[in-house]
Amino acid sequence: MIQLTIDGQIIQVEEGSTVLQAARAANIHIPTLCDHPELTPYGGCRLCLVEVDGFRTPQASCTLPASSNMVVHTNTTKLQEARKFILTLIFSERNHFCPFCQVSGGDCELQNAAYDEGMANWPISPTYNPYPVDASHPYFILDNNRCILCRRCVRACSDLVGNHTLGMEERGARTMVIADFGLPLGSSTCISCGACVQVCPTGALIDRWSAYRGHVHESDVTETICIGCSLGCGIQVRTRDNQLLRIDGNWQTEANEGLLCETGRFQPMVENRQRITSPMIRKHDQLTPVTWEEALQEIAHLFNAAPGGIAALASTRLPAEALYAFQQIFAEKLHSELVTSTEEGKTTAHAAALARQIATPFEARLDALKQADCVLLIGTDLRASHEVASFFFKRKLLLGTRLIVIDPTPNPLNEFAHLVIKATANSDLFQTLQTSPTGDLATAAQILAQASHPVIIYGEGITAQPSANALQALVQYAHHIKASLMNLKGQANSLAASQYGLEKPFVLKGQSITYLALGDEQPTQHLIQQLEAAPTLIIQASHASALTARAQVVLPVTSWLEQEGAYISFDGRVQQAKAALPAPTNVRTNLAVLQALANCLNLTIENTWKEKLNQSTPAVQIA
Amino acid sequence: MAKPKIASDWMAGCAGCHMSLLDIDERIIKIAELADIRATPITDLKEPDESGVDVGILEGGVNNTSNEEVAHRMRKRCKLLVAFGDCAVFGGVPALRNFFTLEESLRRAYVETESTDAEGKIPQDPELCKPTRVRAPQDVVPVDLFVPGCPPDPEVIYYVLSELAQGRKPVLEGDKLHWH
Amino acid sequence: MVAQKITIEPVTRIEGHAKITIRMNENGTVNHAYLHINEFRGFEKFCEGRLVFEMPQITPRICGICPVSHHLAAAKAADAVYGCPPPRPATLLRDLMHMGQVIQSHGMHFFELAGPDLLLGFDADPAVRNVIGMIAANPELTIKAVELRKWGQEIISILGTRRIHPRFAVPGGVNKTLTAAERDTILSGLQASIATIQTGLQIFKQWAEQHSEDIAKFAVLTSGYFGLVTEQNGLELYDGQIRLVNSQGAQLEKFPGEHYLDYIAEHVEDWSYLKFPYYKKMGWPNGVYRVGPLGRLNASSHIDTPLANAELQNWRAINNGKPVENTLYYHYARLIETLFATERVSVLLDDPDILSTDIINTHHEFKGEGVGVLEAPRGTLFHHYWAKPNGQLERVNLIVATGHNNWAMSEAVDSVAKTYITGPQITEGLLNRVEAAVRAHDPCLSCSTHAIGQMPMQVEMFDAHGNLLQRVERG
Repeated sequence: MIQLTIDGQIIQVEEGSTVLQAARAANIHIPTLCDHPELTPYGGCRLCLVEVDGFRTPQASCTLPASSNMVVHTNTTKLQEARKFILTLIFSERNHFCPFCQVSGGDCELQNAAYDEGMANWPISPTYNPYPVDASHPYFILDNNRCILCRRCVRACSDLVGNHTLGMEERGARTMVIADFGLPLGSSTCISCGACVQVCPTGALIDRWSAYRGHVHESDVTETICIGCSLGCGIQVRTRDNQLLRIDGNWQTEANEGLLCETGRFQPMVENRQRITSPMIRKHDQLTPVTWEEALQEIAHLFNAAPGGIAALASTRLPAEALYAFQQIFAEKLHSELVTSTEEGKTTAHAAALARQIATPFEARLDALKQADCVLLIGTDLRASHEVASFFFKRKLLLGTRLIVIDPTPNPLNEFAHLVIKATANSDLFQTLQTSPTGDLATAAQILAQASHPVIIYGEGITAQPSANALQALVQYAHHIKASLMNLKGQANSLAASQYGLEKPFVLKGQSITYLALGDEQPTQHLIQQLEAAPTLIIQASHASALTARAQVVLPVTSWLEQEGAYISFDGRVQQAKAALPAPTNVRTNLAVLQALANCLNLTIENTWKEKLNQSTPAVQIA
Repeated sequence: MAKPKIASDWMAGCAGCHMSLLDIDERIIKIAELADIRATPITDLKEPDESGVDVGILEGGVNNTSNEEVAHRMRKRCKLLVAFGDCAVFGGVPALRNFFTLEESLRRAYVETESTDAEGKIPQDPELCKPTRVRAPQDVVPVDLFVPGCPPDPEVIYYVLSELAQGRKPVLEGDKLHWH
Repeated sequence: MVAQKITIEPVTRIEGHAKITIRMNENGTVNHAYLHINEFRGFEKFCEGRLVFEMPQITPRICGICPVSHHLAAAKAADAVYGCPPPRPATLLRDLMHMGQVIQSHGMHFFELAGPDLLLGFDADPAVRNVIGMIAANPELTIKAVELRKWGQEIISILGTRRIHPRFAVPGGVNKTLTAAERDTILSGLQASIATIQTGLQIFKQWAEQHSEDIAKFAVLTSGYFGLVTEQNGLELYDGQIRLVNSQGAQLEKFPGEHYLDYIAEHVEDWSYLKFPYYKKMGWPNGVYRVGPLGRLNASSHIDTPLANAELQNWRAINNGKPVENTLYYHYARLIETLFATERVSVLLDDPDILSTDIINTHHEFKGEGVGVLEAPRGTLFHHYWAKPNGQLERVNLIVATGHNNWAMSEAVDSVAKTYITGPQITEGLLNRVEAAVRAHDPCLSCSTHAIGQMPMQVEMFDAHGNLLQRVERG
């Protein structure tokens, strides 16, 4: 421990702390701009200057290591003048038009820093050299006129996300944030994760969607989880007057550490589907609005008369409570022979079966990925399905972590990999890796052998194979090289659906009725085609689709932002989603609809969804 | 003791700061009691008294030769010069014109715009002032007090005016300091 | 001995910067009087490269008296560019904000800018012929005037967080709903506002009786009349189509605002930074028309709200059902419109959709070009944007309100100068009358030139040899 004095206060901090960290630990305020709690200190803006006894000049406290017996002053007259001067230079360097800037009036850290120093003017006027505005990106704008060169965006892009799209060019007054080697953002390697927008202290990076729709202090925030995939990233949903403004990553959530991907941050903004706002029954070949009672009665009637039985599918985006209710109604009570999820077990069935067989979970938790010094991706396209998981190793690739990709088709992560092997993962491959690898496989084996914390992430390339042989071989291999195994699985409640036994392939065997608890999922072409053979469709969904267009009965449900419920991440974390927006009137939650359906059918169902999760051994420990 | 004399004028701004001044609503009566309001754009005296005023208030930046005259005259005739609003303090939105040449801006307005007829031309009459680069008044004359805001809040304006009317120099901080 | 040129600068109690020069003939009569609008800012150029969605925040800085006009016209143009028409509740809310603005702007003009001329007299001492002087002369009335303006401003501030340069309209709608409590707050000021406007109407009518001679000779001009109307040709300030009638009141055109380029063009004179819009079919200068309160009342056939419509009947009687041409009646028309706007606030607040949360349409179908049109207090406002698919502006064209009245103001200045300047002696009151010709139009010269200016006030008369004959100064 180190003991130092700041503004007369004696403070103890751990070795390796900076003076800024020490001050914060003691609740002493030192203004900063380029500093950010999630990013490595940069020392660029110089606003955090402090005076230290014995030092000739003021020092940037964000990068100054605390040392024993240091005596630090944070608010001397000299420092106050220095801060005003620093801000003066920043303002004079570029073109800051506060009157019409989106963040002006509370959300600009630069403006707020000036207010804190009592600045009512800029002693040095800007020269008004125009700086470029890059409006090529679909989700946000980069206005270089407002940039203060703090490099937070660059640091976020490399150190947090590991994509290394943003960088700086030139020097001195010509320094500029650029994408790649000077490409417009919209044509660059940017993956639209939006981390840069979230960390930008000024209006240099502006989110198009939320612009001018409300300042932070005018909006409400709901802390919940994203259900875009099975990672369950923590998010902060900003709303105002029942309108969605913006989705930010929640820095406090351990799992995603505040990071989001395009799907989680921006896709909800481009939701263009038509909303279903009333129960409907097809009458004279037209979907006609009816009451809930009528609709449920109609379903009961159809169920009773169903020759060949009822098939049932549920979206893995539904909360666990609803999935369990669904399973009880159709599998346990109605004894349907075909009760499954829209994923049909493609990402989970083999692993679930194996876990039951060996009576123990075998997959690791997300932590293991964060500790990994070597990652092997087999048959999984993380960019398409679980992008944030890739950030945790991408950002360490320049720090020694190795990446190997084995995939029969080109994988977006290939350009980051140290070794790319074009191959289909089957039991032979693992056999070879383990015993007598040659060429690239030998290299891969060597890299893996040298790693202290190897992690293997496997996906549909293995899980969707008809036989479980490849998976078994992989598990054995992982055990052999002492690697952690991870399967991101599918959508948000993929694991829960698996644990509730909703894993059968959807193959109709004469069932005349199909009940589809679609929720807010956007049906794939594959699903639409599969259901073409289903004679009568009953659907609970939030938005219209080709499926609702041919349904016999349609029940309107909430979208994900409008409902709460339990979600089990790919690695067994049980999380609660919260509603951030009110549902339209006459629209019910997925769970409420299923409960009403059970009622209507005189079925008693339990709400023991949590206990049921561990009824059979899962592939990964469920907490 | 004679009431302090206050005069104001507007240059390359939008009049919003003077409108925000009117937004002090009935408190304008209080100000009129404390101070002698002389020339302003909304009263009929045309220029600050040659004999001088105590407080000169300028709204707007300097973007033509006429504004330059106004700024110099106000500086000459007042003891304390106040830059009122973001245009006067920083240059403001009109300063966006500095990204383009005067020629480009004039041509767009008087020749190229889609509604201008075929006889468009840039006005040249000697009665008209000449546009210049947009500058903050502080780059033309020394300024004593800055009241930023676009426009400054009426609460800020009332505070500033009542302080000045009572012979004190207002200090803007906390709630009273905003640039938006 | 005759003067060559008389200069009046600046024109006060108007928004913006103007200068008047009066050229004299050898025989001492007025040859021509010119209204020079003396500044230029260049919004049509410097907005290039900014984003369309920023325009509802950039363009209000054209004018601090009617920022809401620009705010809303910009939003309408942005709606068109992005192909995202707002849902009905958002349109009602924008309309409500616009009414607040019309009330505060018209109210301020009548009582605080023009009022001193009417209440204290054209010839009153310039040191007191202003709102401060009115406080002394009639404190009760001044307070009522302040309250009326305040009520209008509060409507704006309730919706957009601040009175001047609010943040409210965005492409596709608005960013905030109206709560029931806020609606009630607005309603609570309605009756007092109507009463104040009625007082204003009384004041004007009394003044008109006592000054009928002046009214009959003060800039009575022949022109067309131009403004937005409802489908049935009722007065309309927010939506509708444009109607142009001739000096006899016969309809020349009725068209959607976005087709304005087919109907009007702008003429440039060397001696003013403000251009002169005119009706293309009749060419320049035959195609001149007037906008703003007088123009609008002449272009519409009725008003949909009862009190204002009743007052409109009095208006119609002035010229036997034909358009009213006397410039001083602008003040009367302005009050009738204020009454309409106030009644319209009540209509809007009664609408079941006014409290709805369906306030924005976020579904875009990019069109690339859009025109936003509405009636600013001073006249028809056009915002025309051309944008690239990434949302950056390529071109901007603005025709702003007072601009359409440029010919009328110049003509009025010339006419009044010729009517009242009959000899070499100039009184201050005479100068004030010439300025009043401009003032009646309630010009917003910042708006119209997308510019402003003020200059020293002095009037000098020179003889034909350039010797100074007389100097009259104010200040």
